[in-house]
This record gives sequence, structure tokens and C-alpha cells, in this order.
Amino acid sequence: MCFSRSRSASVTYQVQECFGYLPPPALKEISQRTNIRLSRVYGVVTFYAQFYTEPRGRHTIRVCRGTACHVKGAGRVLDAACRELGITEGETTPDLMFCLETVACLGTCFLAPVMMIDNQYFGRLTPQRVQSILRDYQTKQ
Amino acid sequence: MIKPLTSIDELSKLRAELAARPRPEVEIRVCSTGCRALGALEVCEALEQEIESRDLDRRVRVVRTGCHGLCAGAVAMVIDPPGIFYQGVTPDDVPEIIQSTVLNGEIINRLCWADGDRVIARQEDIPFYKHQTRLVLRNCGVVDPRSLEDCIAHGAYSALPQVLSAMSPEQVISEVLASGLRGRGGAGFPTGRKWQFARAAAGELKYVICNADEGDPGAFMDRALLEGDPHLMIEGMLIGAYAIGSGQGIIYVRAEYPIAIEHTQIALARARQVGLLGTNILGMGFDFDIEIRQGAGAFVCGEETALIASVEGKRGMPRPRPPFPATSGLYGKPTNINNVETWANVPRVIQQGAVTYSEIGTEGSKGTKIFALAGQVRNTGLVEVPMGTTLREIIFDIGGGIPRGRKFKAAQIGGPSGGCVPPRYLDLPIDYDSVEQIGAIMGSGGLIVMDEATCMVDIAQFFTEFVQKESCGKCVPCRVGTKRMLEMLTRITEGEGELADIDRLERLGQMIKQTSLCGLGQTAPNPVLSTIRYFRDEYEAHILEKRCPACACQALLTYRIRADICTGCTACAKVCSVGAISGEPKQPHTIDISTCIKCGVCYQTCKFQAIVVE
Amino acid sequence: MADRISLKIDAVEVTVPEGATILEAALSAGIDIPHLCYDPQLGLPPTSSCRLCVVQIEGTPGLVASCSHPATSGIVVHTDTEEIRQTRRMVIELLLSDHPHDCLTCEKSGDCDLQKYAYELAVKEPEHVGEAVRPEPIQDGPAIIYDRSKCILCGRCVEVCHNVEVTGAIDFLGRGFDTHIGLPPGLPRDQSVCTECGNCIDVCPTGALSFAGAEGAGRVWELERTVTICPYCGVGCQIVLQTRNNRLVKITGAPGLGVNHGRLCVKGHFGFDFINHPERLTQPLIRRNGELTPATWEEALDFAAERLAQVKADFGPDAIGGLSSAKCTNEENYVMQRFMRAAVGTNNIDHCARLCHASTVAGLARAFGSGAMTNSIEDFEKADAIFVIGSNTTECHPVIGAAIKRAAVQREVPLIVADPRAIELTEFATVHLCQKHGTDVALINGLIHVILQEGLEDKEFIAARTEDFEQLQAAVAPYTPEFAEKITGVPAEDIIRAARLYAKAPAASIVFAMGITQHTTGTDNVLALANLAMVTGNVGKPGAGVNPLRGQNNVQGACDLGALSNVYPGYQKVDDEQARANFEAAWGVLLPANVGLTVVEMINAAAEGDLKALYIIGENPMLSDPDLSHVEEGLRNLELLIVQDIFLTETAQLADVVLPATGFAEKDGTFTNTERRVQRVRQALPPPGEARLDWEITCDLARRLGYEMSYPDVAAIQDEIAQLTPIYGGITYERLEQGSLQWPCPDSTHPGTPFLHKDQFTRGRGKFHPVQFIPAQELPDDDYPFVLSTGRILQHFHTGTMSRRTKVLDELVPVGAIEIHPDDAQELGVGDGQPVKVISRRGEIEIAARVTDRVVPGTVFLAFHYREAPANRLTIAALDPVAKIPEFKVCAVKIGPAD
Repeated sequence: MCFSRSRSASVTYQVQECFGYLPPPALKEISQRTNIRLSRVYGVVTFYAQFYTEPRGRHTIRVCRGTACHVKGAGRVLDAACRELGITEGETTPDLMFCLETVACLGTCFLAPVMMIDNQYFGRLTPQRVQSILRDYQTKQ
Repeated sequence: MIKPLTSIDELSKLRAELAARPRPEVEIRVCSTGCRALGALEVCEALEQEIESRDLDRRVRVVRTGCHGLCAGAVAMVIDPPGIFYQGVTPDDVPEIIQSTVLNGEIINRLCWADGDRVIARQEDIPFYKHQTRLVLRNCGVVDPRSLEDCIAHGAYSALPQVLSAMSPEQVISEVLASGLRGRGGAGFPTGRKWQFARAAAGELKYVICNADEGDPGAFMDRALLEGDPHLMIEGMLIGAYAIGSGQGIIYVRAEYPIAIEHTQIALARARQVGLLGTNILGMGFDFDIEIRQGAGAFVCGEETALIASVEGKRGMPRPRPPFPATSGLYGKPTNINNVETWANVPRVIQQGAVTYSEIGTEGSKGTKIFALAGQVRNTGLVEVPMGTTLREIIFDIGGGIPRGRKFKAAQIGGPSGGCVPPRYLDLPIDYDSVEQIGAIMGSGGLIVMDEATCMVDIAQFFTEFVQKESCGKCVPCRVGTKRMLEMLTRITEGEGELADIDRLERLGQMIKQTSLCGLGQTAPNPVLSTIRYFRDEYEAHILEKRCPACACQALLTYRIRADICTGCTACAKVCSVGAISGEPKQPHTIDISTCIKCGVCYQTCKFQAIVVE
Repeated sequence: MADRISLKIDAVEVTVPEGATILEAALSAGIDIPHLCYDPQLGLPPTSSCRLCVVQIEGTPGLVASCSHPATSGIVVHTDTEEIRQTRRMVIELLLSDHPHDCLTCEKSGDCDLQKYAYELAVKEPEHVGEAVRPEPIQDGPAIIYDRSKCILCGRCVEVCHNVEVTGAIDFLGRGFDTHIGLPPGLPRDQSVCTECGNCIDVCPTGALSFAGAEGAGRVWELERTVTICPYCGVGCQIVLQTRNNRLVKITGAPGLGVNHGRLCVKGHFGFDFINHPERLTQPLIRRNGELTPATWEEALDFAAERLAQVKADFGPDAIGGLSSAKCTNEENYVMQRFMRAAVGTNNIDHCARLCHASTVAGLARAFGSGAMTNSIEDFEKADAIFVIGSNTTECHPVIGAAIKRAAVQREVPLIVADPRAIELTEFATVHLCQKHGTDVALINGLIHVILQEGLEDKEFIAARTEDFEQLQAAVAPYTPEFAEKITGVPAEDIIRAARLYAKAPAASIVFAMGITQHTTGTDNVLALANLAMVTGNVGKPGAGVNPLRGQNNVQGACDLGALSNVYPGYQKVDDEQARANFEAAWGVLLPANVGLTVVEMINAAAEGDLKALYIIGENPMLSDPDLSHVEEGLRNLELLIVQDIFLTETAQLADVVLPATGFAEKDGTFTNTERRVQRVRQALPPPGEARLDWEITCDLARRLGYEMSYPDVAAIQDEIAQLTPIYGGITYERLEQGSLQWPCPDSTHPGTPFLHKDQFTRGRGKFHPVQFIPAQELPDDDYPFVLSTGRILQHFHTGTMSRRTKVLDELVPVGAIEIHPDDAQELGVGDGQPVKVISRRGEIEIAARVTDRVVPGTVFLAFHYREAPANRLTIAALDPVAKIPEFKVCAVKIGPAD
């Protein structure tokens, strides 16, 4: 009994993988199926950084803000990404191409400063490299 | 496929069989976890193609291993025998490696570790490895973590039979107690004591949990262990579960570690398939299984009560202790939580025996500690050393010192809960107790090296911003207090601080430490308090002189082009995204300070070092 | 009993049970440690989030939160050192750094814990300034305002919503500094599960949650507080009326107060402004030339008395009937029935209990000897299983509903819910038995059959405490689960499962209401439940029992005090000579011996011309009684209709004389709640205009009929009641000021009775009654294919006289709707919210459809609160032969398009 209830988080994960985010009807459905109050479902979803209640961009950029990256200039990397995309952290470009996030640590401190686009790592970044990587992505589409 | 093992004998037989299998002449062990970020899989594929095309399948085998430790050298590989370490390998290097090194036994110097002109080819001779004691990491980078056979051949599950056949649960606990093993997750609570509490707690149903929610920025040892040698931790959990009397284990791993999740899942499935998990394990009447749960991006879930809430599918908010999880944990049942590295130490304790194990380390801290060495240090990577090793040994002997000839300024130990250790403590033997005395904590073992270009106020602000963002929001001191601290720090880094702020930070910091509900809040002020303690002058410079001595705080910087050096090459003007740089070609350029956004691109672009930061 | 431990707090030696926290220990010794997030009254584990309650334990480093830290033996605790004060000061400063400093204009000023502690700790300007969250206050519904800027995230509201009310409408959202509390974002309010019970407001320590209707109406020191009883359902919640300048500003609970422990439902909290409504009757009216026109009291009383005397003279006393009121006090009911019996000389006195629980009274009196809830509300906390049948508890008795939900969720007590509709409780049920309407006897007999079949009965109890068991055995023998399934539609395996869950629990409680009683087989249904309880020994012990939930605030009291055609106060039979002699002696007049007419019988008699005059207090048969066309015919046929009420109800509009009376907030007296608890009602406001106390009006009428009846005050009436009513014998106002009392309370030292039939039944042995399934009177057919069932909804009450004159309740549910299953709706081509015409053999109404799978196909449900679409124009006046209760729960209708 306990276990099925606790799996609500993994259910939520799977739903998110389906839709790319968690639209309100999906959350309502989760609430009904798991017998957990909708308020609680929202409480959980809004607590964790990995759940999204808004539509996501096609590519997710995660700029690492770990300590190693920070001392090696992650701030400039983030600034460069913001400038290039015209959005700030936590936002999605209007064409729904990119969403830009920061992450506490990607665990790849040896590559610092690092960012990840979808599942690909880009290490030892400079503002210029960020610009060229993002432009590559944009022209590839 | 191995048939399910129904007795200890069968496991021993299997191990003997596996060891007796014909081995290839050469094994090429490529890190395909951490190094994946720089194309390790492509290197593996290239190797396999090359081997196939040269029809070397029987003689040469590529092993996709976990992390070798020297992450600075990604993509890294070891060619064994004779144990040559290559770094920075790309697929283009592969034909040459096969031809020259594997077939002809020649060393390729450019792929070797080097210190100036000194080139070292053999892994064991490289200073980075020479000064380590790889007890827990022994098989990490050696075995194929996805192959149970390979792991068993290398000694996995060799402590478990001993435990199940010859030791009572109480004996296991006394052994762990006697070993002096302390929790590697942060606070260093004696592991045996924790197990005692959980064993003594009333109730049939008990849980053991592996905390793999390694959230400290700058820490990646748990990731490496899960990716590189998951069976070691599973064996540790089995032993712990037996000692405590638990039938159900849970590994709580952060979602940001996809490879770790994948490898752990494979390992669990394989262990279950051969009967190392499940009912009547090895025919000894012991039942235990493990489930894996993913974290969803909340640092605070590293705190054990928050972790439990998260496993229960709730908001990951800590709750007051007591009751401790040992008496009322997951679903209100007795629960024992240890982190990955702690669990991974357990089989070693049993294999070596408490007496031998406790010979490593210091009086109060036994065994080894794995550090994730990063920041302004040459050999970034994973380092395992005996407790009591000095910072100097770690940073200079193993880490190779600070690059670009800069000076060591501080080491940040213990992540956001830790503190900044100044140069004067470089020779302090590092263990749980010594670190705490100087205002840091061991934490999970993140070790970030900082040089003179690092601003300590900025670092304090950085960590405070981190904990502020990661505060669950439940208790007042952490939720509001860290916010106010961050605001003060931000004002200081922007030149808006006042001297009284230092005082306020200290008082508020002390209060937050004393009153916060959980470990995250109780340690959140550590980076601020320790930097004030050791680098007060930097705070004062920001406040009184409106100056960042390390030239790191953007708001206090100005970029200027030295007319005497500038050649007018126009490169800087071209890259300036806001058009703040003007000047005629071949004439010295100037930066309009009011337009400049201090992005630093021009500074990095200029080939003549004509741009200065002040 | 738990071991006790001793510790020292601020030099005071304190002894507490083991397991107590330091804060609990301190509070028990009268030492108040500041705390914001923890509310001991909620009875929930502390969340320990405010960190204000930190204390120092000697010999240990740092500070600990006293709300969660266990008190251990021998520790020495300091709660008020300078260091602790300094730390607390900083906590308050931090909170104030993110809180508007608008105490001057804040609604909560003077009643705010943050303000109190800031003052006590002498916090001046907060040292730390920084970003503060200042969003505009949010008002999602008509009642509750959330001002996030004042929220300190203590979480009490979330706790009360999830763990006390088990509603779960709100939760913490977001994380860190951005954490806030809210409904699921982006969800329309009408889809939220929030019932606006308002308990979150009562537990909020700051001004973050407040009642919209009280904004600017007065702050704590300007308000007078009167503790009294809620005028809605039979739970009998204690409420605090907060008044200013003779106007009711708001109603709140108070920590731990009453059977409700300070918790209220949306009606209790916000359904009160009818009392200040401009449509209140403020002067007597007399019908002149067909029009109701204002008159003086003298004129109106003379008019009424003269006409009554005339009818009595012409047609005899039995041509006069009286309807008393379940909304009036015990004293008023007593006076009314004495008036009818002694001044008029008839037993034609009845009231709306006839329409709700007459079958309960009849059934339980036969089986047990006494027709009331056997156990107490607090017993739901002790029950090991709860069987709810024919009670939509969370809507009709919300505070008890919450207790049942808590039992199911927090104690994981098996909950069996038998209801033809998927009511809210079914979400919490271990098993939901969805029986067909009117098949309860078959279902219950099926349960008993399984219990006997499997040997789960309590043989010892049956042998020692009951009689006629053999008759029961014979009666239930045919009701195999399969046979019961055929009649009820409930799968046989569910019947078996439910029987086992109920029978195996050490103490199992049966809860029922009008789903059981309002049938032509109502008495049989109740007898069947009594059989079920006795067969398992579930009578006469805590946590068990047969528990009818009474519908109106004082329906229990009105019955107790003899507003029934067959009994005097205390259920003493009018045809019992000894009883009659006692009352004749006390009242100084000869009394009639024949049983009088009941509610529906009076209407029938009126229609037939046998009843000539009717005196109605606080009842509205023109909406509440079955077959309204027939009711109207009857009332119009009367020679004299006297209506005494607070509004010009549908019934009063037909009256010859209307007497303006007082509402619950304007009088003193007592109500008796569903668990037989006699509680004080206290006056907080003066009556509007010339309105008068009901009992005074009745006494004046008596006097004009030549029967002297007068009392100096209500306490004197109670004294007379106590003399004549053994079960109320020990109840005095003096005692009631100390606390309420549950009858039977025979003498002045008796502590009252929390549960009945402890060692023996009121009638001696419990009597099994063999009952057989009889179908409902009117079943669907080709012409009228749907079963119509009627009932209540949460937001409205009875005929809506009060609730629909309340801003909040009216805004929540302004119009009625009929529940139709989606399949039926599709077949009929009706969309959600579209109007339909509902037609029975007796009348028709137009109303909007609510398409919902709460009802099963072929059935529709309609609440009877709406004068514009009165359900009772459709219902049938078929009566239970014993209890004379009408079959409100089943009749046949057809549904067509609206005009």
C-alpha cells in the first residue's frame, strides 16, 4: 500500500516524459489515479526542480553552477547564453527552441565550466564557445 | 548467463571458474562514464572497430569501465598489461594506439601524463596515483560495471558469504563498530552505532536506504562509485541489511546522474537474477531486495528525513528529530540510511577485518576518504587517501598544484555546508574532527581549490545563493535568514555594503546555525562564517575601498585598454556584443565604461594582453 | 497508563507522561513558551518550522525546539534566558523583515501572535531588511482571503485542511523563499475540493487568512464574544458569535471548544448573516382583505386567540393542530407542546422530526427501548470499524464527516459505506456498497446472514442481553449474499467482505441518517440495523452503537421535550395513565388520552376539512413536506393558520396571522444535539424590531385562551422540564454553565451518559425484530422511468430559509441542480447546466441538470432547498405504517426538455 503511493513521483516522471511537461489535466489524472489530493500533487511538483508545469523548449540547456564551474567562470558562461538567446535563467525562448536552466552541479567538475544541451556535455567553455555552440544548434534546425 | 546461485559453494565455484577463464593478452580499459562527456564512447567504438578489422578480437579486449580518477585527463584509458595510462584520447588516436602500443609495445608520448618534460607512461608511477590509497575505488576503472561476471571475478560479493555463513548480525555490527567506520555523507556519525539503533528498534519491517543524492556542488565520488562499481555498494547494503534485520533496501539517486542510474539498475537486475538479491539469498535463509528511486532535483533531499519524505512521494521537507529514522523512518518504520561511500566501505571492513581496516586513518577517523578534487588545480579528479592526509599532499602531491603558476589561496571543503580553509592549514591532517575545528566540515568530500583570482566574498555569496535556492522553505531561519544573508553579501560584492554588515552576517549566521531545523540550515552559514574568519580583509576591501582584491566581483571591476599596448587589431571591438569598444583600425581602442557589461569577452580575445581589469 | 517522568523547567519540577514534549510539559506547568507553527489544539504532530519555541537543555550544546523535543527524565530546561530571548528576537525580526508593518490597519491586530511576540520580545525595527513578498491578496471564493504578504508559512492551515478536515484543498507550493500556500494553481475554484469551511482562518496566527465579510467590521477589542450553538445541523457545534453594535460581524470556532473542538463547516462559519437580513419579520401581520398587513402585538395575539377559541368551541380541540420547531430551543418546544396539550387540549402536536427520524425513534424504541444515538461523537475516534449507511455525512454533518474521514485515513479503520450515490465518503471507503434505492433491509439481512453463516456473531451477548434471536435467524435465512445481490444490486462478494469487516472489529459503529429513515420501510430499516448491531454485540460499549445523525440543530430536543403526537416530554406515552396523571397534576388541567395527528396526517385532515386551525412555529411545510400541491390545498382549506417565524416563509405567506419571532442569536435556552447533549444557547443580539421570544408569544396566547402559563425566564422552564422529564431530571442552567450534559441525566449528581445501554437496554433485553424486504411504494415504470431521491447539499440547509439568505452560501450555490448520470444525460440530450423538466405523478419542476457519475444510471438526485424548484412538488406522501414518515427517498419521475 505504502509503496504504490510513494510511486506517485515515478508516475509523475513518466507522465512528464510523455508530454515533456506536466499539463494541468495530466496532474488531475495523476491525482485521481493515485488517490492523492491535487493540492498535494502540485505541492510535490512545484517543490522539485525537475518537474515542469510549463511547456518546454525543444532543447534544454543546463548551465552548471557548481563550485568548480563557478570559480572557473560559470557566471560568464550563463551571461553569454542569456545574451545569445535573449532570455534569462528559467525561461524558454519564444520559438520554443531552447529553455535555459542552471543546475547545482553536473558532477563533471573536471570539465568546468560546463553546460549540457539535452544529453550532450560541453566542457571548458568560454563565452565565445557558448555563442558558437548555440549558433550551431540554431542553424542546424 | 549464470544460473541462480543457491549456496555459498556455488558462488565460490563460480568465482573460481570465472578466474580460470582464458584472459585476452591485452585489456584496454576505457573510462566510459565520466569521460563520456568528452567522447569516451566514440573512442571505445573506434577501438572495437579497429580491433575487429585487424582481427584481434581474441587477443585484445576493450573494457568499458568506470572512472579512472584522473578526470583532468579525459578521455582516459589504461592499457593492461603493462598498465599504460593514456589521456586526452580521441577516436583519431585509436589506430596508432593499437598499432604502436598494443601490437608493438611502443609508448605514445603525447598521450601520456607529463609534467613539463617529464613523461610518465605507467599509471602506478604517476604522482596522482602514487600517493593514493585506493581501497574503495580499487575496482573503479578496472571492472566493467555492467558485467556481474567481471565484478565477481574481481572479488565482488566475497565478503557476503563470510557474513552469512560465519557471523551473527550482532557480530557484523561489532565488527563495523570496531573498524571505526564513520558515515561518509557528512557528519561522520559512527556507522556501527547507527546500525545498532536500527537493529534495536522495535518492528518486523525495517528499511535500509542508500543515499545517493549527491547534491553538493563539486562532489562526484558517489556518482563515480555507482557508475564504476555498483556491486560494491549493493554488497555493503546486503551486509548492513543482514546486520540490522531489514528485508527491503532503497537506493535514492539523483536524476541528474543518468549513467549511475542505468548502471545501478543493471547491477540490481543481474544480482537479482543470480540470486544475490531476493529470497533465501545463497541458500542462507536471508531475504533482501533493493529498489531504486530517483530524486527530482532538490538538494535538501540529501538530508535523511527529507530523503525519506521524498521516497514517500512527498515534498522533500525535513522533519524534526527525534524521532530518528532508526526508530521511525520510512513509512514510520525503523530505517537506516548511509551514503554510497559508506556502504562501499562495508565489504572492505569485512574482507580485511576491523583490525586491519582500522590501521588506516587517524585516531578518531578510520579508513580512507574519497575527495572530489576540482577548481584551480592541475589534476582534477577523484582522489582516495587515508584519513589524516594533509591538504598539501592532496592538492600539491596528488593534485599537481595550482596551474598557471598562481598562488594557493584556499580550499573549500565540504560543499555548501563546509568552509574555506586558508593556506596556514595546508599541513593539517584532514579528518572529521580536525576539519570541524577550523570551521569547515568533511561533508561528502568535495574539495575545491581556489587561487588568488578567487574572491572569497564572492565564494561566500555563491554558496549562500546555492543554499538559499535549495532551502526547502520550511523553517524560518533557513528560509528568511539565508535570504537576508545573501542580500547582504550581494550588496557587499556590489560595493554597497557597510561595515556593520560583517557583524550582522556573523550574528545572523550563528543564529541560523543554532536554530535551523535540519543540517542544511544548520551548516548553511559555514562558508560565510569561515571566510569572515580567515579573509575578513577581503570583506573590508569590498566595503571600505569598493574594491575586489581578486578582481572577481563584476560590479566592482572596470575593463580598460592600455593604449601603449593596443595595436588596433579591432578583434575586441568585433566580439563586443554591446558595442562598447570603439577605435580606428591600427589605432589604440577604448572601452566606454557606461556601455560595458563586463562580460570579459574582449579580455579573453585580446592576443596582446592590452586589456586590463581593475 | 504510560510511565510518568519528571524534569525541571525554569526551576519548576514538572511531571508528565512519557512521550510528552518539552513544550507540553511546560504548558502543563503553566509556563508558556512562544510558538507560532504548533497548535496543540489540532492534536497533530508538530512541524517544528517556526523555531520560536527553542529552549536550552542544561549540559547539551545549542538549542532545541521544545514543540518536538521529548521531555526526558531528569533534564533541566531553561525557556527564557537572555540568549534564548535574543534568538527568538531574531526569529521574529526575520519574519518581520518579510511582513508588512501595517498593524495599524490590519484586520488581525490585537489577535495576532506575531504581533504579540514582537511586542513581548521588544522587537523594534527589524535589523535585516531585504526583498519582501508583496502580492495582492487572493480571494478564490466568497469567504476566504489569503494575503501572502502576511503569511509566515507556519503551515497550520495546511495541517488543518489535510489532517483535521481531511479535505486537502491547499498545500505548500514552490520551494524556499518562494514557498507559498494555495489551491492547485490555475484550477477554477468550483473544481477545487475546498469547501470554504474556514477552519484555516481560525488557526491562522497572523492576518494572512481572513474572512472577506468581516473586513473593516471590527477588530478583536471592539467585538463582543458570545459562545453558543450553531443553528444548522444536529452535530451541535459550539460557535463564538462576534458582534459589534448589535450586529453579527463573524462567527469563529475557538480552540478546543465543544464537541467540534473549535472546528466548523462552511455553514457554521459563514452561514449566519440571515440573522441581520433586511427581510426579517419585525412586526406582527394580520391578513385583512386577503393581504397580510402590519398589526400591533395586541391585535395579532387577540386575533389569533379569538379565532382559536372559536374553532375549539365549534369543532372541539382536535380540530386544532400545532407544529413545533426543531430550530427552537428545548424550552420553547416544551412550552409549545404544553400549550397544545393543556391550553388547547389536543395531542395534535408534531414537528419535522416526523419527516426525518420518526422511524429511528420508533425502531430503536422497539429494539432498545430508547430512540436516540446510542453513542457519542467522540466515539468515532474509538471505533475499530465504521459502517455508514444512508448518510451523506460529509455534506449533511460535516464535522462528524471529518471525524469519520480521520478515522479512515489516520487510523486506517475499515470504512464501509452503503449508499446508492458515490458520496464523498466513498472515496475513503474500504468497501462501497452501492445498493438500489429502498433495498436496505435486504442488504442488512444479507450482512447478518453472512455473519451467522460464518459464525462471526457475538454468542455471549446474544444469549445474555437479547431476546427473540431465533426469529431473527429464521428471518435472515433466505438472504444469502447471492439473494441479497439480486435485490440490492450489490455484488455478493462485497456483502461478504463488508460483513466480515464489520463483524470482526472489536467495536464497530453504525452511522445512519435519512437514507435509512425516509422510506415506507423506514422503521424496518432501523430495526434491521439494530439487529445487525446486537448480533455482533456492538451496543452498550464505547466506539460502537447505532448512531442516527439528527438533521436539525434541535430535532433531538424537540422530540425529547414532547413535540410529538404520542408522547409527553421524556418519551412518556400520552396513553399511559400514570404519565398523564403526572402531567395533569403539574399542569393543573385534564389532558386528552388519545394519540394526536402527525405532520402529514394533519395536512391530510386539513385537506379533508377535519382540521380547522393550525399553529406553526418555525416550520415550513410548504417546502419541507412531501407532495406540496396537496400541502398547499390543505393549508388553504384551513379556517385559521397562525405562523410564528423569523421570515415570511412560503408557509407564512398563506397565514392568517404572522407572529415575528427570534432567531438563535437572539435568545437564551438549550439545544440538544444528535448525541443527546444538552448545551446552552446564549443571546448575543437583541431581537429585530418588535420580534419576540417564541415561548413568550406562546404563553401570551395561552393566557388569552384562559390558561395561565408564565415563566420568569428560560431557566425556570428548564426547572419545570427537569421535574417532569426523568431523562432531563438532573439538568439545570447552573450545571450547564459548567459544561454540557448528555441525557439520561436523572439527578443533580449524575454526570450524564456518553453511551446508552451499557449493562442493560433501556427496555431490559434488546429485542430482535424479524424484518423482510418490501419494495418502495412507487417504482419506476415506462411512464416514469427514473428513481428520484432527495436530500441535502453541504452549502444549504433544509428549506433554505436561512442558508439562502446568507451571502457566502448563496454565492457558493446560488441555484439548484438535479444530478443525472452522463449516460442518461446523453440519451436525453441534456448537457451539464442545461435546464430540464422533472415530472412526477404529483407535479413538475424545472431545474438545471448536473451531469455527474455520482448517481447511477436510471436515478436522479435533487436537494430540497430550492423554493423556485421544490423537490417536494414531486415526492410522494406514502407513509411508513409505524412511524408515519414519508418516503422522500424514492419516487418515480420522468425527465423532459424544459419549456
